Amino acid sequence: MSLGGEMSKQTISRRDFLKLASDTILTASGLLGLGGLFRFLSTQTDPLPPTNFDLGTASNYPPGSRTILADIPALLVHTQTGFSAISLVCTHLGCSVESKPEGFSCPCHGSRFDLQGNATRGPAEKPLNSLRTGISSDGKLRVYTN
Amino acid sequence: MRRYFLPAASIFLLLGLLISAWQESRHPKPIDLTPTLTGQVEYCLSCHSDLAEISSSHPVKSFGCVLCHAGERLALDANLAHSTMRAGKNPSDFSVVQASCGGANCHSGTAEDFRDHIQRATTSIQATYAGAIANIRYTFGVQADLKARLGVFAVQVPQSTSGITELAAFDPLQETNSFILAFGQNCLTCHLSALPVQTGGRYDHFTGCSACHTPTQSASLTSVDTNTATQVHKLTTAISYTQCNTCHNRGNYDLRSMTFQPRSDLPTDRLHDYYQPIAQFTRCEWKLDCVDCHTRTEAMGDGNLYSVKKEIQYIQCKTCHGTLADLPQTRTLTDPNDLAFRLATLNPIIELQLGDTIMVTANDEPLWNIRLMPDGTYEMFGKTDGQRYVFHPVKGSACTQDPAKQDSGSCHQCHSVER
Repeated sequence: MSLGGEMSKQTISRRDFLKLASDTILTASGLLGLGGLFRFLSTQTDPLPPTNFDLGTASNYPPGSRTILADIPALLVHTQTGFSAISLVCTHLGCSVESKPEGFSCPCHGSRFDLQGNATRGPAEKPLNSLRTGISSDGKLRVYTN
Repeated sequence: MRRYFLPAASIFLLLGLLISAWQESRHPKPIDLTPTLTGQVEYCLSCHSDLAEISSSHPVKSFGCVLCHAGERLALDANLAHSTMRAGKNPSDFSVVQASCGGANCHSGTAEDFRDHIQRATTSIQATYAGAIANIRYTFGVQADLKARLGVFAVQVPQSTSGITELAAFDPLQETNSFILAFGQNCLTCHLSALPVQTGGRYDHFTGCSACHTPTQSASLTSVDTNTATQVHKLTTAISYTQCNTCHNRGNYDLRSMTFQPRSDLPTDRLHDYYQPIAQFTRCEWKLDCVDCHTRTEAMGDGNLYSVKKEIQYIQCKTCHGTLADLPQTRTLTDPNDLAFRLATLNPIIELQLGDTIMVTANDEPLWNIRLMPDGTYEMFGKTDGQRYVFHPVKGSACTQDPAKQDSGSCHQCHSVER
């Protein structure tokens, strides 16, 4: 009598096979379901657009400077009276205006604004919006778009 | 059978989960965009990030996609995302144009602000087809005169200098004359709501605004593949004559059979790309593009309902060239809000400045691409290619025209090109 002959006679009953298969599939389903649940619960919503921009230390912007802040988009102006900022979003249909020597020009529909942001050619009728600036407690210059 | 229930249910559960996971994996990675104008996030760029900007005046960063196209802005499944789009690929179709392109700051503002594009286009004779309908009904004795009463759709205007304030919808099935019935069935193929007849790709076009403002890619003369025309994702005011040819010059209507007969030749040069075998053309008429001379109100109407094209189309040779007695009309730009500046911005082939003197039509429409030069000549820039032309006025020239004959037909007597 050989060992191989004994091994070949070891069989699993149909009931046990079905139970084993069911358990295996249910376990896999459970793991898959848990993975989906984990993914669902770990989903992070898109952050709201920022309204508060850290521009670094104020000394980076010397008096007399006019700095384009492309990410906002805005123009930061430092004059004798302090900092001010103008939104570079056209008041007609929201395109980003381009800086020109004589002011600003909208590439979408041709509106023009002077250096102070006042509309000088339509279709925009309103001036570019002024944005609030300030220096936070940590000494950082900030621009607020809300 | 009960002992198989649990294994079978397990298999179905696993299969369901696997299918869900597979479907989820097929969705693109979300790319979000929050357009300035809407302030609402949309995920269209997840699939369409490679699409070129439709025009410089409609940048996706400001407009996004949903404002014009509609659709489900947060869906990542293509079928769901596209399920509620306006008029499929063409939101400028006149059935939805007000929702897509309208708005006081966009294309349904006031005439004083030159933003009444939708009002003008939807009442124009190119949209109503009222002239052709009236002409056919008059020809076959159904109406006593050529006055328009019917359009391809019903339309009303509050007031009209033409005296026509409304058109009822033309319903060919209500016509008893067999010719008019056939006209309705076979010949309503060249108004702005009509899909092109299947004559080949080079004549394909969209409906509504896009019929003219969205170029047909293979409409160019050099394209030999006439079956693969595709409209590109583009809006332009630099409209090539080939785009006009998607409706015009593509054949003739046979009044005996009331059928459209597409041209059978394949022109190899621009002069012959203008059809109408018996027509005469001066050099301007085939060297330039149609939009170089014909104005926005001629093409898109002026808000009035008309019976015939001649009532709205008024450009003549003398508009640009003047007569022996008179120079062409001009206007010096003193108002920064002059319409000329806006039109030149949308199609920047010329850098207009305050103080420039441009040509204007008899109706004071700016021919903003033509400027008076200090030496008394005029420079003109082609609207589609920017090419510069310089020309002299008739006044002071050797022209021997009869001052009493100033129509274009008389000019053709000497200046036509042999074809």
